[in-house]
Amino acid sequence: MTRTWLAQIVAVIRLELKKTFFAKRGLWIYLLALMPLALFVAHAVNVGYRNGVRERLAAHNQKPLTYQDLASISTGMSREEVIQRLGKPPSAYSWDEQRQDESGPARLVVHETYNYTDGTSELHIRLEDGTVAGTELGQSENLGESTVIFAGVFQFFYLRLAIFFGCLGIFMNLFRGELLDKSLHFYFLAPIRRDVLMVAKYLAGLLAATVIFVTSEALQFMALCWSFDPNLRNSYLYHGHGFAHLAAYLGITALAAIGYGSLFLAAGLWVRNPILPAAAILIWEALNPFLPSVLQKISVIYYLKSLCPVEIPAAPGTPPLFALLISSPEPIPAPVAILGVILVSIAILFVSSRRVRRMEINYTTE
Amino acid sequence: MSREITLDNVSKFYGEVLGVNRVNLAIPAGITSLVGPNGAGKTTLMNLMTGLVQPTRGTIRILGYSTDEPEKLFQLVGYSTQFDSFPKGLTGYQFIYLYLRLFGYDTEKADDLAWRAIERANLTEAAHRKVAGYSKGMRQRIRLAQSLAHNPRVLILDEPLNGLDPLARAEMIAMFRSLAADGCHVIISSHILHEVDIISDQVILLSNGYVVAEGQIQDVRNEIREQPAQILIRCDSQRQLASKLIESGLAIEVRMHQDGHGLLIKTADADHFYLALNQLVDGGIDIESVIPADDDVNSVYEYLIGTEGAAV
Repeated sequence: MTRTWLAQIVAVIRLELKKTFFAKRGLWIYLLALMPLALFVAHAVNVGYRNGVRERLAAHNQKPLTYQDLASISTGMSREEVIQRLGKPPSAYSWDEQRQDESGPARLVVHETYNYTDGTSELHIRLEDGTVAGTELGQSENLGESTVIFAGVFQFFYLRLAIFFGCLGIFMNLFRGELLDKSLHFYFLAPIRRDVLMVAKYLAGLLAATVIFVTSEALQFMALCWSFDPNLRNSYLYHGHGFAHLAAYLGITALAAIGYGSLFLAAGLWVRNPILPAAAILIWEALNPFLPSVLQKISVIYYLKSLCPVEIPAAPGTPPLFALLISSPEPIPAPVAILGVILVSIAILFVSSRRVRRMEINYTTE
Repeated sequence: MSREITLDNVSKFYGEVLGVNRVNLAIPAGITSLVGPNGAGKTTLMNLMTGLVQPTRGTIRILGYSTDEPEKLFQLVGYSTQFDSFPKGLTGYQFIYLYLRLFGYDTEKADDLAWRAIERANLTEAAHRKVAGYSKGMRQRIRLAQSLAHNPRVLILDEPLNGLDPLARAEMIAMFRSLAADGCHVIISSHILHEVDIISDQVILLSNGYVVAEGQIQDVRNEIREQPAQILIRCDSQRQLASKLIESGLAIEVRMHQDGHGLLIKTADADHFYLALNQLVDGGIDIESVIPADDDVNSVYEYLIGTEGAAV
């Protein structure tokens, strides 16, 4: 029996994958999945371009500079002092301004911008009439900042929106889409148990969602690493948390597909209009931090958030409500979180299987 | 394993709308036609027999199996529905082959069965074309091929001859007969009554969700006592026979057949009429043929239900 079920599950997955991967109506799912990838690739290209500019600029330095040299420049210093410490600027601009003072006649102000770099950090100095009026020292790539931005994009866009709506598109269509296409009866006329059919369809959806979103997530991570300086990249990947972070993100993505997949498969069995359950689940997930502890556990995001490898610090001055939204007030151990998502999904699938067994084909009401 | 399809007090309501009501049937092997006008409940009855809809009340057993056991039921049952829609992007061959893979068959067996079914439906040349590009008749045939592909013992066909050209219709009817001769249950719905007459071993007449009659068509006709039987007699002395029939009181009504070569007689008791006819004509009149003129589905349907369904 198990062998027959397996053969049937494989047959259903084969049929479903073709529909899921190549359906025109699923194109927007690819766009959702690739949106953050485009963002990180664009960032990496920009960083690469800026690194090139910095390297060319550094080659024109009068003397070798260090980060400390760049950091020693402060407001109030004279042009001569700057040049004495850093040498003649490899890149400089100047312009004049007629400034009308309140007390007297208009006078000419000479503005200058000097750009220095040690090859990795950049210093922009703004001078007025030969005196430093302001400085801006920026590092080429800040590992900590980059990983927090990556975590932010993952938590607030990829997890809560891209994977959420992607799963809605994939899993709600498993049954609802076939009812609309009037083709579900072909499955129901085959000697396959309805619950086995449901599991097979779920696995097909899971495979599609996982391939699409895990691949995109892996590529996003590669794009992030590509933007790092090679030394920084090696240090992050091989001596830091790089691979652990990657594994965590990929695992969370797969778990999100498991959790949201089961939710939307069930929603497709009960509700005709996908907008309503999507809105309800989205609001429920968004309200999760504000819910009582017991209710928090009946959600997918509660478990997934606990698994995120990088915590996003609330910036000073963040409104308390928003701070609560981004914080994880009651972190739970990873095994509990993983088990939680899987158990919630199994429970939803079990209830759905009862529904599928009593499901009727009545296309005229669709 | 039971040899019958049984429906025991089966009712189906769609909300407040009646699908079928209090249906009790025991369908033996052979060709059984479900006859009735649109909305009579034919498709609902077929969908109930295949588990596509659940009965509101009652039980259905197909050769002993319940309809909520698809894993067992569809090893035995093939159903060609009226739904003219197919999974997207598939060729005729893929449609049948992938359906057979759902049975758990390995690639070789599924391939073999798929080609046999396609050949039976005369679609070999079009097998690798997309079903979406098929004509209506070809789509009908590929659905038939799918329902037949796994060699079911019960074949349920909803309007299977719709859209087929005369040659294809004749081929299909021959195939149904051959399957019935092999002991299969072939259940066909149709509103084309002369076709039903030709192919059916028994009929089930439906009207407004109720079974109004079932059985062999002659038996059904004989049970309609309130309607006088019509008999066509072809003989050499039509006037003489007509007067004898009226005098003897055997016939209620006697008139010339529209072709002018026979008498169309209405009698209240057909059995008695046949017995008495031999004595009545003994020696004087040469009888060429005596044929019941109203034991076809069309007449029976008209007597039972009225003219709404007995048109074609």
